[in-house]
Amino acid sequence: MTQAAAMTTGAATADAAIHLRDVSVHFGDITGLKEASFDIAPGEFVSVVGPSGCGKTTLLNLLTGLLPVQTGTVKVLGKPAREGNSDVAYMLARDCLLPWRTTLGNAMYGMEARGLLPGKEREKKAHHLLERVGLHGFADQYPKALSHGMRQRNALARTFCLDSPVLLMDEPFGALDAQTKLQLEDLLLDLWREHQKTVVFITHDLGEAVALSDRVMVMSARPGRIVADIKIDLPRPRSVRDLQKSHEFHEIYTEVWEVLEAGMKS
Amino acid sequence: MNDHNKTPPLTMGWIVAHLVFIAALIALWETSARLRWVDPLMIGKPSDAVGFLWEGFVTERSLWKDIGYTLFGTFASFVLGSTMAILTGLMFVTWPATERFATPYLTLLNAIPRIALAPLFLLWFGLGLGSKIAVGVSLSYFVVLAATVAGIRSVSGDIVTLARSLGVSKGRIFRTITLPSAVPSIFSGLRLALVYSMLGVIGAELIAAEHGIGQTLSFLQANFETSAVMALLLVLALIGLAVTMGMSWLERHLLRWQ
Repeated sequence: MTQAAAMTTGAATADAAIHLRDVSVHFGDITGLKEASFDIAPGEFVSVVGPSGCGKTTLLNLLTGLLPVQTGTVKVLGKPAREGNSDVAYMLARDCLLPWRTTLGNAMYGMEARGLLPGKEREKKAHHLLERVGLHGFADQYPKALSHGMRQRNALARTFCLDSPVLLMDEPFGALDAQTKLQLEDLLLDLWREHQKTVVFITHDLGEAVALSDRVMVMSARPGRIVADIKIDLPRPRSVRDLQKSHEFHEIYTEVWEVLEAGMKS
Repeated sequence: MNDHNKTPPLTMGWIVAHLVFIAALIALWETSARLRWVDPLMIGKPSDAVGFLWEGFVTERSLWKDIGYTLFGTFASFVLGSTMAILTGLMFVTWPATERFATPYLTLLNAIPRIALAPLFLLWFGLGLGSKIAVGVSLSYFVVLAATVAGIRSVSGDIVTLARSLGVSKGRIFRTITLPSAVPSIFSGLRLALVYSMLGVIGAELIAAEHGIGQTLSFLQANFETSAVMALLLVLALIGLAVTMGMSWLERHLLRWQ
């Protein structure tokens, strides 16, 4: 399994969007992450799957700079990871909408926090993205009036408004029902294709990972290690909805599932 | 915007039903007193109560002064108690050590039945406004303090994480995320505190005061003027209702997103 981890695909170190070398994280006696090394090329969509508590979120916290690097090297677009890095947009499982802001206000929140664009253009951009995610009729509503799916669409709009080259997503659709999830996955793929972002997508749903990604990295149970790094050779553009019926998709899914299972035993 | 959980509107039929019910109740009360089914000394008489209110509000106008004193005392203890409580809450959250240090003492103080403090406050602050405000503050302070601390703690950790990833500074996170998140909880604390302030003030007046509804109530009760006592209780209930409704209205308009 360790060979699989070493078999890093993708770009050379110099122009990698994300670069990790020998990164370990300890929380007291507990090892949260063990010797992680990988590169992600610009524009690549990479998912990280693994059992809960294996350190997937730890990985993201390192990339956002919310968790200081203890050992090893973490670089985002060639620069050391740091908190508040405007090259990075973070999206969580919970929508994190501010309840006292309207849909439009929430879509603009990230841009406001980072001081991007003058007021008028900011609003224009937010309106444009709200339209893209299908919320144009709801700009003046407060989050309490929106369904779960709509709130997460609102969060997607906020994330893409930032126009950061790197998107870090921590199980963004984990709390949604199956139908809504499929819709939002396809929406994410469309936005990703339009905006050419590098995506690190954390999920515990292997089907989601395979359907969305160029590469799936599999992590083992604690202490979290990357035990496999699998290229997904499904043609683009994809529709997650259509893939559900594709034979090829299910074959790759089974293959990755076996690796995941082996990793969980090791 | 979303009005679907409101109670159905008060139709004419309902209003008539309520009026009939209230009229029947008053008629029964008056009759029981007049025919001495119940000793009028126990329940008073509605007709006498109305006479008392007429005198107090219209011909002699002495009740206005009492209400003025009670309401002023209530608002003063509310404002003073709430302000102190919110400041304490902010201090506790900014410097957690202060909370750890103060909690045992505050818990002990909060365990004292506040009305038992009234004699001491009378000694310290006299029969005027001071003592009743002190009792009011001693009640409202703790309510708002608990609500403030709980409100500030209730902020979503995920939203703070998101804001940090956006590069928002700690101070700005506190001002623009933590505090607004605490507002609903603080508000429900304030609503309770207003009622508690009035409770404290009237309680203090009942024990001893120069002016105020509580003091008048105690005087009338001592003279077995039961009808007047009943009338004043009604006035108190109406004032309490008006105060709570006013707060709810304010809350609805300030926190439309809730």
